Amino acid sequence: MGMVPMAKRFVTTKVEIEGREETKVVEMPSREPEPWGDDAQLHIVGQRATRVDAIEKVTGVARYTADTQRPGMLHAAILRAPIARGRVTRLDLSPALAIHGVRAAVSIDDVPDVKIDGVRLLDQEIYYANQPLAAICADSLEIAQRAVRTIELEVESQPPVITFEQARDENGAKAKPTGNKHRASPRVVTRGDIDAGLRAADVTITREYSTPVQLHTALEPHGAVAEWVGDKLTIWESTQGIFMTRREVAKAYGLPLSSVGVIMHYMGGGFGAKNGAPHSTYIAASLAKKTGKPVRCILDREGEQTDASNRMATNQRVTLGATRDGKLTAISVDVTSILGIGGWLASPGKIYHELYECANVRSSEEFYFANTAAMGSFRAPGHVEGAVGLECAMDVLARELGIDPLELRQRNYSKTDQGKEQAFSNKRLDECYKQGAERFGWSARKKKRSSGRIRRGVGMASLTWGAGGGPPAYATVRINRDGTIEVLSGTQDLGTGARTVLAQIAAETLGARLSDVRTALGETQNLPFASNSWGSITTASVGPAVRVAAEEARDSLYEAAAMLMNTSPEDLESHDSEIHAKSNDKCLLFRDVCEKLGDVMIIGQGSRGPNPDKTTIAAFGAQFAEVEVDVETGIVRVLRIVSAHDSGRIINPTLAESQLEGGIIQGVGYALFEEKFIDHRSGLPLNPTIHDYKIPTITDIPKIDAFFVDAPDPVANHTAAKGLAEPPIIGTAPAIANAVVDALGVDISAIPLTPWRVRGFITTVS
Amino acid sequence: MRLIVNGAAHEVTAPAHETLLVTLRERLELTGTKLVCGRGECGACTVLLDGRSVYSCLTLSAACENRQITTIEGIGSGDELHPLQQAFIDHDALQCGFCTPGQILAGIALLEKNPKPTEADVRRGMSGNLCRCGAYPKIVRAVLAAADGNGANG
Repeated sequence: MGMVPMAKRFVTTKVEIEGREETKVVEMPSREPEPWGDDAQLHIVGQRATRVDAIEKVTGVARYTADTQRPGMLHAAILRAPIARGRVTRLDLSPALAIHGVRAAVSIDDVPDVKIDGVRLLDQEIYYANQPLAAICADSLEIAQRAVRTIELEVESQPPVITFEQARDENGAKAKPTGNKHRASPRVVTRGDIDAGLRAADVTITREYSTPVQLHTALEPHGAVAEWVGDKLTIWESTQGIFMTRREVAKAYGLPLSSVGVIMHYMGGGFGAKNGAPHSTYIAASLAKKTGKPVRCILDREGEQTDASNRMATNQRVTLGATRDGKLTAISVDVTSILGIGGWLASPGKIYHELYECANVRSSEEFYFANTAAMGSFRAPGHVEGAVGLECAMDVLARELGIDPLELRQRNYSKTDQGKEQAFSNKRLDECYKQGAERFGWSARKKKRSSGRIRRGVGMASLTWGAGGGPPAYATVRINRDGTIEVLSGTQDLGTGARTVLAQIAAETLGARLSDVRTALGETQNLPFASNSWGSITTASVGPAVRVAAEEARDSLYEAAAMLMNTSPEDLESHDSEIHAKSNDKCLLFRDVCEKLGDVMIIGQGSRGPNPDKTTIAAFGAQFAEVEVDVETGIVRVLRIVSAHDSGRIINPTLAESQLEGGIIQGVGYALFEEKFIDHRSGLPLNPTIHDYKIPTITDIPKIDAFFVDAPDPVANHTAAKGLAEPPIIGTAPAIANAVVDALGVDISAIPLTPWRVRGFITTVS
Repeated sequence: MRLIVNGAAHEVTAPAHETLLVTLRERLELTGTKLVCGRGECGACTVLLDGRSVYSCLTLSAACENRQITTIEGIGSGDELHPLQQAFIDHDALQCGFCTPGQILAGIALLEKNPKPTEADVRRGMSGNLCRCGAYPKIVRAVLAAADGNGANG
């Protein structure tokens, strides 16, 4: 394949990350490979290769941030606010500093002037419970924790803003001096004419739904180890974005980017909570600076559960209008979301515009501050919340119309992106509906509701999620003199499998054995830039860059091999790290070629090119659930989930299915029991432990059949892959909620569907 | 005090209230054993004490003198994996890997007690070990597969 090298030039392109579309400047890659389309002959991409870093994980040698040991390292502990609103009137660190083994303390004057979620680091004005106020470091964590308890702290308390009602009360307390309502409220997005759409409807329904604060509960908490050598700072950080962390830390300490290195080799889960530098990073770096020693600052579990991001709570009032034959004429939603003390404006309204064909759609979103920890990204932020309202309301509409819920969704199938008035790069949601329904046995489900104490029900939901990825992302591929191959990219593997799929893409492109390829990632100093691992973008962003780099390396390798084999590069092909000449049947191992070259290094550079213009790139899916409800106790058991997905080409089906199962299981928790509780009067968190904040255990897991329909998307990018990690959580909760409604014959208005809440829905009706 | 960890004896000086988790991680630098909740709610710190699974965060080091302590580092290495470690790799029974050492040790203890568990036995036996990535379906498969291997060997 003789590629014509393209002249490099800078262009702009649109990239969607977690519902937010950004225009990015992109340098055109050195080449644009032929897309791997439907008929591409691929040998390693698409294979169920085992995870390349599995051995390190099953033997316990994988070093996570909290496992980092540095010579002379000290341990930090944080003093946190015991109230949700007020201010510090006295802070005396001297009793702590007098304890043997305590080395230093920091309060607001000792740390850089940075804001985290709108609150100054170690601010003495208190905006939420457990806000960090000061920190200590000592020879051991135990001494540091003991020392923190001796700090003399006096506070003046004010009534906090916690609930929706308190936040909306214009005469009530203020979460912060600027008020409770975010200035961007209401954010209204419309297409068509909603009133005309409602007038055209034969049937309209209106329902309200509320969704809870969900906590990421990554088993590895946030944390960092910081070490200064002269004016150079190294940070080991549990982060989804090493380059973002570097930028934030360098700015805070007034350092050039080249003086800060961020390292993240293994990470115990992120799920959206670990983007950018949190309090612990600055506390570690400031204490390290003060003491001249490396400092480790890892959140304890209470810190992680109460001050380390969360999914925001929402209220959604949904109105749907449709003709008698089930064609949507109007979709309208009013959303109120509580951000906590800060965060960003994730959009529950967006999915209302995206999922179905409808000429008249309106969303109005209000965002409020409160004296609770700031929200952040959590696996498909916005869409997960919005899907609960939209998809539960769609089932209500289906019942009103007497149309099968799946049939109703199929009748409102959108063939183009109506909101942006442009085409989809590819969309196989129709196949997801078909294959999902078949594997679930949707058409064979009972039409009559069961009676008795244990009731069964089924439900479904659709999903979509922008998952096209995009630039900038860079990769280098090097071939060593022994024929081994290194893929270098400053991306992250959060447990997703990025190390593995990038190695597969490189091995495929080079015709190498997968076992000869090693992926190095998670270091800013030595590796080219890749963005945060968020928005399900990594495979579709970094994958194409790796492919370009590997092609460039392969071309150099072939040039050298052609010389040694007395033929031309076009005559060569390779597999299993062997190069064959088609004309004369000669054969050389990569190793043979590279040994002959000695220390001449074969290096390929690659980058991610722009996204196609005026094209929406999205992932899709259809999810089906069967539940059993005990009407006496209100206990819901999810029996099985079938989940069908279009995420483009699947690089590694096993690892991809693991992501689907993980998303579904977090969705089961969101549907049934995950909810952060805060005392409405004091603002104190009531369930800051894993015992009290329930996440699914192995006994809660339904039978899961999660799969991908065959849908390579060569328009999206030349690997034809799209994102897949976030989509499976989106439809899970509404599918389960719809199954519960099907089982009971009563409406629900809130999740999680805890026993007491389910009993409430039953008794309200009877 | 004398601790026997993965077959090797270590002389350790630690306060009487120090947990086995802290001794293993901070003094012996065996960091495969993870701290997640520190109060016996999650299973990430599971180790074997005389062959039985215990939460090392709730176990005092002083109570382990001269007893056999097995951590993830002691059950198999890259060259020679324990069959359950191999089953975890083969079935992709892990994602981020943070809970994996605890899961594997809990699985080994379960198979020691019950070499031929049913799926329900596995779920019950492993229910003290949380995984937030959601590797559970594949953990069940890996433990059952390793149990099948037991049958073939025995």
